[in-house]
Amino acid sequence: MYFQLARRNLMRNKARSSLAIIGIVIGVMAISSIGVFGESLKATVMENFQNVANEVIVTPAYSSGYTSIDRSTVTKIEKMPFVDRAMPVKTELGSISVRGERGALTVYGMDESAVKDLFKAEKGSIRLKGDCVVGKHVAERFKLRAGSKIILGGEEFRVSAILKEEGARFDINPNNAVILSIKGFNKIFSRDYSIIIVKLKSIENVDSFKELVKKTINSREKKVSVFELRMVLERIEKTFKQITLFLMAIAGVSLLVAGVSILNIMLMSTLERTKEIGVMRAIGAYSETILKIFLLEALILGLFGSVIGSALSIAGGYAIDMLILGSAKYVFTPQAALYLLEGFLFGVITAVLSGLYPAWKASRLEPIEALRYE
Amino acid sequence: MDEKEMKVIELQDVKKIYEVGAEKVYALNGVNMSVERGEFVAIMGPSGSGKSTLLNLIGCLDRPTEGKVYINGIDTSELSGRELTELRRDTIGFVFQQYNLIPTLTAFENVELPMIFKNVAKHEREKRAEELLNLVGLGKELQRKPRELSGGQQQRVAIARALANEPSILLCDEPTGNLDTKSGRQVMETISDLNRRGVTIVLVTHDPSTAAFAGRTVRITDGRLI
Repeated sequence: MYFQLARRNLMRNKARSSLAIIGIVIGVMAISSIGVFGESLKATVMENFQNVANEVIVTPAYSSGYTSIDRSTVTKIEKMPFVDRAMPVKTELGSISVRGERGALTVYGMDESAVKDLFKAEKGSIRLKGDCVVGKHVAERFKLRAGSKIILGGEEFRVSAILKEEGARFDINPNNAVILSIKGFNKIFSRDYSIIIVKLKSIENVDSFKELVKKTINSREKKVSVFELRMVLERIEKTFKQITLFLMAIAGVSLLVAGVSILNIMLMSTLERTKEIGVMRAIGAYSETILKIFLLEALILGLFGSVIGSALSIAGGYAIDMLILGSAKYVFTPQAALYLLEGFLFGVITAVLSGLYPAWKASRLEPIEALRYE
Repeated sequence: MDEKEMKVIELQDVKKIYEVGAEKVYALNGVNMSVERGEFVAIMGPSGSGKSTLLNLIGCLDRPTEGKVYINGIDTSELSGRELTELRRDTIGFVFQQYNLIPTLTAFENVELPMIFKNVAKHEREKRAEELLNLVGLGKELQRKPRELSGGQQQRVAIARALANEPSILLCDEPTGNLDTKSGRQVMETISDLNRRGVTIVLVTHDPSTAAFAGRTVRITDGRLI
């Protein structure tokens, strides 16, 4: 019956109630859509990093004076359990000469299979036996094509492939580099390994692997450092969460405005119904009963607005994702649903909080004063 | 003790003072009055004489500045706001000049409302609401909203509502003030009929023909009974 009373009071001024509901709808929509979009954006970015999550990078322990990793250490790591494959890399700064033009660049020495595993060729096909592959920037700088010849440290190499441009990586970056086979590298430089990219069987093995390295290779002296990409991913994830939260807070302002509009219409409603409140108090309503009826009205507005807002948020999230990310596959994930729920709850809570003051004010009216009100 | 039990309403030296600026206005200035069970008392007086203030004090809608108001022997000055609400709900029925029905509720629901406030079970309150509306001759208008009813009909719904929790006192503030002569007489006949069934009635009016229905008439001028 109190529900009926509240519902009918809202129906009395349909335009006003509708506007209040629209306010909540917009607020909930803004919060949820942005939440869903933020989640999708994060998921899209994380997807690009997913295949490096179980990678660890082993570098020389510079702090204890090591600048390279020797062959025996590489072998030890290759034979460790949990290791799916180890990709040792040699690095040196080299000078290049193409048709008389000279320049400096990074030279990597690594196995052909490792190159194929880590990078993709834009032109040509990756072959390191007597050949080399070059990064995108090098190719642009020296106008190289697959089949071009370059001179590195006095040796001539044929370019078998030009690699696709790589984004930010944490281990090695081929954009401004030439990659040779270990054998080719050894012809020019005499240097041990500078980095080992280790792919573990699973992301869960990271800690065990670190422990094992500590007990074996680093048992007497710290020879190598282990750098895990998992931490970097966690950082990225955290950063995206913060960005999403910040955007949602901005969207929250629209919900605040909706709250103020509910406060406003309910205060007006309290004023208009003062005499009715007086009558109800006279015939036996407790002040809490009046409070309850008014809060119920706010709750109905909040529920209505939030249900509609949440439904539209799915559409909104879909639209933003399609527009910015070009794919809406992350709209229907549990995380996105969580943001929808969050928006919904915020909508309802805002409405009820906004109704609190008018309801309290209505309940505090003295019956005799309220009855006299015209 | 016996004497007190007989008295449904008793006022002892009741004063109601309003401060208007620096000036004190005595709406009631030392009223002594008692009403016995089953009585029908009319309070008459010109406007501004304090008769409505008197009715509001009896109805526990307001508290006196000085003096005591006893309802069924209970000193109302000792009751909390919540207890006063319960006293109004269970013991007192109100009929107002402007009917004061809740516009969003049907006639039937308006009569149910005081019983809802008292947590009366649904089937019981529905049965009683129907009986009461039949009693005031509105058995056919149950589902109408107040604005679809005539003034006389609305006032009879208001009487039915006032009787919902079987009050021992019915307080009427100019119940015929907004009605034409014929509807007014019908309403007064309904009220007299209730009195014959044992309900104590206190009625405020300035209309002698309305007051004529009462068993006893009390006159008030300038906050004093005369």
